[in-house]
Amino acid sequence: MEIAAIIINVTLFLALAPLFEGVIRKITARVQSRQGPPVYQPYLDLLKLLGKQNLVKGNWAFSAAPAIALASIITAIAFVPLGYKATFLTGYADVITVIYLLTLGGVAVLIGALASKNTYAVIGASREMITIIMVEPVLAMTFIMGAVKVKSLGLDASVFSIAVSGYSWSVAVMLAAFLLALQAFVARQPFDIAEAEVEILEGPFIEYSGPNYALFKYYMMLKQMFYAALFVTMFVPFLRTGYYFADLGIQLAEIFGVFVLISLIGSTNPRFRIDQAVRYYAALIVLSLAAVGLSVYGL
Amino acid sequence: MFSDLYGNLLVAFALLIISAVVAPFLATKRTLAGWLNFLMVAAASVIMLGIGYETVFGGNSLPSKLIAFGPVKIYFLLDSFAGFFAGVIGFMAIMSAFYSIAYMEHYPDYRLRSYYANFPIFIAGMFGIVTVDDLSVGFTIAWQMMTIASFFLVRFEYKKAENVRNANKYLVLMEIAWALILAGTVFISNFGIGDSVHELAAKLGATTGAAPYIVYALIFLGFAFKAGVFPLGQLWLPDAHSIAPSPISALLSGVMIKTGIYGIIRTFFWMVPHTETFHFDGTLWGAIIASIGVVTLFMGTAQSMKQSDAKRLLAYSSIGQIGYITMAVGAALFMFSSNNEFLKLVSLVAIIGAVYHILNHAVFKGLLFLSSGSVLYATGTKDLNRLGGLITIMPVTAVIAGVASLSISGVPGFSGFASKWTIVSSSLLAGSDVLFLVIFGIVALFTSALTLSCYVKFFGMTFTSTGTEWTVQKDIKEVPAIMLAPKIVLTALCLVQGLIPFFYYQAIIGIMQSAKGSIMFEAFRSVDFDNFILSTAMGVSVGVPGIKGLTLAAAFPVIVLAVFAGAFAIAALLRRSGGSEEKLTTTWLCGYQELSNNNRYKDKNMFAALKNVLRWTGGNVKD
Repeated sequence: MEIAAIIINVTLFLALAPLFEGVIRKITARVQSRQGPPVYQPYLDLLKLLGKQNLVKGNWAFSAAPAIALASIITAIAFVPLGYKATFLTGYADVITVIYLLTLGGVAVLIGALASKNTYAVIGASREMITIIMVEPVLAMTFIMGAVKVKSLGLDASVFSIAVSGYSWSVAVMLAAFLLALQAFVARQPFDIAEAEVEILEGPFIEYSGPNYALFKYYMMLKQMFYAALFVTMFVPFLRTGYYFADLGIQLAEIFGVFVLISLIGSTNPRFRIDQAVRYYAALIVLSLAAVGLSVYGL
Repeated sequence: MFSDLYGNLLVAFALLIISAVVAPFLATKRTLAGWLNFLMVAAASVIMLGIGYETVFGGNSLPSKLIAFGPVKIYFLLDSFAGFFAGVIGFMAIMSAFYSIAYMEHYPDYRLRSYYANFPIFIAGMFGIVTVDDLSVGFTIAWQMMTIASFFLVRFEYKKAENVRNANKYLVLMEIAWALILAGTVFISNFGIGDSVHELAAKLGATTGAAPYIVYALIFLGFAFKAGVFPLGQLWLPDAHSIAPSPISALLSGVMIKTGIYGIIRTFFWMVPHTETFHFDGTLWGAIIASIGVVTLFMGTAQSMKQSDAKRLLAYSSIGQIGYITMAVGAALFMFSSNNEFLKLVSLVAIIGAVYHILNHAVFKGLLFLSSGSVLYATGTKDLNRLGGLITIMPVTAVIAGVASLSISGVPGFSGFASKWTIVSSSLLAGSDVLFLVIFGIVALFTSALTLSCYVKFFGMTFTSTGTEWTVQKDIKEVPAIMLAPKIVLTALCLVQGLIPFFYYQAIIGIMQSAKGSIMFEAFRSVDFDNFILSTAMGVSVGVPGIKGLTLAAAFPVIVLAVFAGAFAIAALLRRSGGSEEKLTTTWLCGYQELSNNNRYKDKNMFAALKNVLRWTGGNVKD
């Protein structure tokens, strides 16, 4: 069953991530008084890209990067519990492993951008790296707060720590920090600074096309869903029945709710400049540090 | 002769000194001198590796011994801890000496007489530092051999006035460090010249008043100077390490600064008496050392990120990595000295992480310096603003530098991850009882993202990205195989250290269990590691049925990598599923007619917003 959970997790993510992307696009369009594409449009986009010509730059880093990005997020998905059930692999990784895996995805984007040799791509890479450095601590501290509560860095122990300990001051502060960082985690407005379509033409992905671009697109969608799922698993763990499939359904519904939130914030906020964003992230780091401090004192 | 380890040690010293005398006479035949130097250094280093093997794995951890050199009597100590360091130094010395043979060819304007006279003396000095067992006569001889020889090696390109200035600064500051350590011992009551560390510890126990604090403070300062701890390291380390020839930089950053760490650990884990008149305050010193370590790791890495000179970037990053080790050493001392049983257990994990990181850092930092040396050899520059696009021109060096960069950044499955994971997780776990340690752990984790940015820059701006000078002219090529060979060995070691950390944990546990006299000696002997430390204290308990000892630490990098490989296969299949064909295209130049260094995105612009925020950390590069 635990091995099946891996397959269920990965399959669910792979199958539904484009749908949630479609939801975002639809809601964004509605907010902007447009009709918007159908919610299944991202599936069509992926299929179309997979069949197109693959323009490459003649070095292996350029071609390896999209596959590494997608592989790293799939690996992270395989380790993290969904439906409040640990997978077979959960015990083999701890929170630090997962943090590093998520970072690896970002690094693959960076390397791909640098390997594409385009100036806009390198600008995007520079911004992406800054975002990783400044936002990763918020994610790390979310896990660490859980780890401190249960005196263990185990992934399941940390992820389910709030389910065990209930809400407290530290959880409330961390929840606020996580929500404030959510748009940055999923690279949505106002923090889509690295891609910034109208400014640097999708930055890191500018030279990518066809299947390579499809992998990157898919990576971004999966990453979005991963953070939404993580938020639900960690911070809203109380709506559960005890039946695995029912729990899965409830969790997916909650993830849908998170996506509605993401698209509403994204469609109503203009993009920050990178220097403004850095100040914002710094405040978030202080906020989450406060949460960890509170949790050490058992609050 | 092979059974007498102390005899072997003397043979190794003799070989190195003979080489220092003979090789300079052959220096006009550059390659021949290089080979002779390599053979002699390798012979001595193999002996030292043998000593390392015997003391660490052979159960031959020896007590200290007084050896007479004519009228001078010096205590030596070949326990497993000294053996470990001697082994690491020996291994890196072999790599560096082999690399020197071809590398020194690209200095046609400089004679190699001084280089080959000082190289073996430098190695002998480092061997000496980790094997002598006093803080006066033997220590002084070893320190001076190491310092003066390395001064001449750093000063190698003496025709540039700036290099001579930096080398002189290096010499003066290292002599100050030496004076600090010697001054420290003077405050020990009844201190006698030539006392072994054991005797010093006993006498320190009889010292009263504030004197012991001065002793520890001065000795710590001296060794911290050598290790490159903030702010002392910033004074000399980046300048000295970046101007030395690359094989020497690899030794300076890879192993020489570790002798400072060796001194710190020896002082605070061995030279600690508990008598009625004096009680060593481990929590105080542990907290101080850990705090200095965490400042060092953050500052060093933040400054590293700002550098555009590849070797300066690596040098600052060495300060950062030394910070990790120092923090772990301090945290271990602090936790071990507390009254909390849980913290005492975690402290053992922390010291394992520190020792493991010493080994890992030696390997990957050596490798990085050799890689940047290869780039310098091929292109003639180490300026990241000009480099770029070498991935297709120097493919092997690119892969090697990639592995080293991933290792130092701590990506799962590579060696830096295993040791940083140990260090960070031990301080996070301790956090449930001590707030400042969890904050240190978070800073360390945050800093490892900064480390990543340094190496994305280092790798990205050197190998990917665009280098206009050589993509247009195409007259540079990959370095010769003789220069690739030592790098390939080191790369393989990097991978092994990342994939089977359990073997190394076991070895380090063995070292601590057989090195008598440390405060942790008893604790390491009494704890059942297989069943406790590495499984449950890490928060994850996984045992592989039937294989005792192969717990999570061993299993997980392999499992993560296996899952990753599976996921990668899915991604690759997906990419090919549409049956699309590949086509090679050129890059869009964003509207420019042709590529030139003026319209590319230069290294100095990378992470500009972050550099502005971190301006206060210093180490800024002016345009």
